[in-house]
Amino acid sequence: MSVSTASTLSAEARPSPEPRRWLRPGAVIDVLAHAYVWFWLAVFAMPFLATLFYSLQASGGQGGFSLDAYVYVLGSFKDNLLLSFETTVATIIINLLIAVPAAYAIVRYPIPGKSFLLSFLNLSLYTPAAVMGMSLVIAYAYLFRIPQTITGLIAAYVVGTFPLMLVPIIVALRDLPITFEEAAKTLGANRAQSFLRIELPLLGPGISAGILLTFVIIFNEFLVTLFVAGPGTTTAALRVYTLTRTAGFQPSTAALATTMQLVSFLVVLLFFQVFGSRYLKGTYLI
Amino acid sequence: MTQVRLVNVTRRYGKTTAVDRISADIADGEFVTLLGPSGCGKTTTLRMVAGLVEPSEGEIWFDDQMVNDVPTNRRHIGLAFQSHALFPHLTVARNVAFGLEVKGTPKEQIQQRVAEMLAMIEMSDYGDRLPAQLSGGQQQRVALARMLATDPRVLLFDEPLSALDRNLRDTLKYSILDLQRRSKKTAIYVTHDQSEAFAISDRIFVMHKGRIEQAGTQLDIYLRPESEFVANFVGDNNALHGTVTREVRDHDGQRRVEVESGGIRLLATDTGALRPGDRAIAFVRPETIEIVGDGEGRDDPYVVEGKVTQVVFEGPTVRLMVDADGTPLLVEIGGLPRLSLLDSDAKRIRLRPRSVSAVADRSAVPA
Amino acid sequence: MAQAALENEARELDGTGWLARLGFEERTWRGLGLLAPAILVAVLFSLIPLIYLVQISLTEKSSFFFNASYTLANYREVFDRYQSTIRETVFLATVSSLLDLVFGYPFAYILIRKVRYREFARTMMTFPLFGTLYLAFGLFYILLPNGPFGSILARWDISLAPYLFSLPATLFGMMVFTFPFMVMNVGAALSNVDPTLEEAAKTLGAKPWQTFVRVLFPLSWSGVLAGFLMCFGWNLGVFVVPLLLGRPQEQNVISVVMYDKGLVQFNYGLAGALGVVLMALAFGVSWLSLRLSRGALGA
Repeated sequence: MSVSTASTLSAEARPSPEPRRWLRPGAVIDVLAHAYVWFWLAVFAMPFLATLFYSLQASGGQGGFSLDAYVYVLGSFKDNLLLSFETTVATIIINLLIAVPAAYAIVRYPIPGKSFLLSFLNLSLYTPAAVMGMSLVIAYAYLFRIPQTITGLIAAYVVGTFPLMLVPIIVALRDLPITFEEAAKTLGANRAQSFLRIELPLLGPGISAGILLTFVIIFNEFLVTLFVAGPGTTTAALRVYTLTRTAGFQPSTAALATTMQLVSFLVVLLFFQVFGSRYLKGTYLI
Repeated sequence: MTQVRLVNVTRRYGKTTAVDRISADIADGEFVTLLGPSGCGKTTTLRMVAGLVEPSEGEIWFDDQMVNDVPTNRRHIGLAFQSHALFPHLTVARNVAFGLEVKGTPKEQIQQRVAEMLAMIEMSDYGDRLPAQLSGGQQQRVALARMLATDPRVLLFDEPLSALDRNLRDTLKYSILDLQRRSKKTAIYVTHDQSEAFAISDRIFVMHKGRIEQAGTQLDIYLRPESEFVANFVGDNNALHGTVTREVRDHDGQRRVEVESGGIRLLATDTGALRPGDRAIAFVRPETIEIVGDGEGRDDPYVVEGKVTQVVFEGPTVRLMVDADGTPLLVEIGGLPRLSLLDSDAKRIRLRPRSVSAVADRSAVPA
Repeated sequence: MAQAALENEARELDGTGWLARLGFEERTWRGLGLLAPAILVAVLFSLIPLIYLVQISLTEKSSFFFNASYTLANYREVFDRYQSTIRETVFLATVSSLLDLVFGYPFAYILIRKVRYREFARTMMTFPLFGTLYLAFGLFYILLPNGPFGSILARWDISLAPYLFSLPATLFGMMVFTFPFMVMNVGAALSNVDPTLEEAAKTLGAKPWQTFVRVLFPLSWSGVLAGFLMCFGWNLGVFVVPLLLGRPQEQNVISVVMYDKGLVQFNYGLAGALGVVLMALAFGVSWLSLRLSRGALGA
């Protein structure tokens, strides 16, 4: 790319009587700069595209494309996918029930030692997944006596992701002027009416950002799951992991991986379309 | 219908006292303005009446009910915010309907009332718009309609016009007055803008450092300030520090005091109880100083002579800075005579201050 | 009182000297009540398990469930026999995070200053964040000799196959995963740098590299530091990337060894000790980055 631009520059720039704007040295730098960005954007998407490509390859034969591999997604992977959706939805609901009141308390109430408390609640965000998995697997087995259960799995997801729900809601709540709540009060609304009719709708984008983050992280989580899950609780992401470790590279595995990423990507896309990326500041996703 | 009474109301934040033992009676249907600079406690006072701030001490009464323990949502008040505080996700109609909806008013009644309110603010066609689609003035009008829709007992205004531009402020302040007069509701209005306060109030409470410095009509506040702060805060004023030399009975029998400051002698209304020998400050409004022609007032002891040091033409008025034997005086002359003063720079001029008022000078160290 | 004040000034001023009055005001109790579920979850499923992990790492093998006797043997073993594991983990995390910085800084700069399709770029950057698993999976397939690029690159006699299980592949995978974190932090810092400052430097005669060294980099330093530490923290916990793309040498990282010792060999004490070392590293880095950047929440 850079080579061809440079050669066109030397070949055409001299004879041309009125200089064409995109041939200025500044323009060349601009082109290179954009090329650099596009190169990395391609790198980000490439693993996904390669996986997609692989999943579409007709098995056995040379060349040709087929959707055969996707038969597995709704076949033998159906239960894993279902479990993934179930655990993700359960985690989102529990996260909401925990994070919305917590964010409200942190922003609107006089809590002593607020920043320390916030760091403590965020503890699990700083814990490497393997450490969290290891500590939970022992605690579940010998302390709480809930080894290899869905309960344990969801609890692990909740503790790992509710801070991700908390942060965007805190951001949104801080942006929400307190006068709306006061106005509702002076108009005769009690606390519940004010929360349901005014604050909750206005916090919508922040809460949705939290839901998005939880979804993207939990739906694709495999490492903590690898530690905590039992034979009956294999999520789709964990299935992808075990298959790549045991069965080698199969188009069916690629199809499952593609499906997972596609679902995640569509959710992200939908969110960005509706709300933009503002409420994701200071969180995982840019 | 509602009389608001504050009894020794105090609010402290940590060690700071924002509002300091305020007592006031606001009559039914009266329009009272709390006027003062920022940080004087006027907004905190209003918010205590609204129930958004809890008094540290003291009692707030609506008629014969003490409302200290009544939460905001059950006080039946209407509050207009500085920022209008329209709910951005609800349409104009839904905003106006909000107070009725949370009360559980039947649907048809709500619709009827909302239509009535929108008609009143001349915005009947805007019911389906969102607040963001309105101009600043329209937003504030909707906020007023929303506040009146529930038929509150007391109307509270927290600098509702300060975010608007000047022309809009002027028209809206009269709409507010009009709404209050028509509804005959008790109103408390907070502002730092004296022209707003003067335009709409029955009574003005000038607040300073958490206390009410003076409560009275516009005329009281303007011409008979009871403290140095009030005299200086409301409009321009010449403050002359001096001593009371004697008491004078006016021809109409009113008691006045003569104050001497520098070489100037002034005859002043006494708003307190000044005695000869007291340190006092005399206040003279720049526009109450007359120019005395060469021929007249030869033996008037209260005519002051000075040299003009600066002339500023301000359109309707001319402002002169006069040096009267070392005492600077600001003089404002209106009407046709002002034009003859345009070339008076560096000339000597004779003045007669009128409507002088005097208060005890508390800044003076007692001997 | 039910509807107490919600004033900014009140919140700030009333907060002073709360320790002196041990009885909090009622609003504080209500707030703590709203926080209770979150605190409960964090204590039950984060704090207690971590303490338990520390405890188990300090316990003599197989004595844990009877009458525990405490020992430092596990830690001695970690520092005697698994020093290379710790070194490899820190090495991989350091190099991949440095690569993030080297390639991510210009990316962030261009994105902030020149690019109008920022929203699109953000969307594309979410792909790595779906997790290391798919990333490693995709990269593995790309590197396969019969992969999608194999035949194309073969025309120029280039083969990616030598990189299939290698240090560069591992580093690349780790780097791509944490790239967005670097861009996010550096980008945030750069967007606070007024472009006129660069123009000012230019008008004063500074060459581009001088502008960068003397103006841009010092002003974006906080973002660089925060980004590096964030990437480093994430890369410390690396697991699946070396497993799929590295040689046994690269697979010798703490998370992988911990999994082997703990869940394959059931040596909880040793796995616990490794976990505590990793945790200490990660918390140290997070603490440092919070101290240096004053977090996105500014709390």
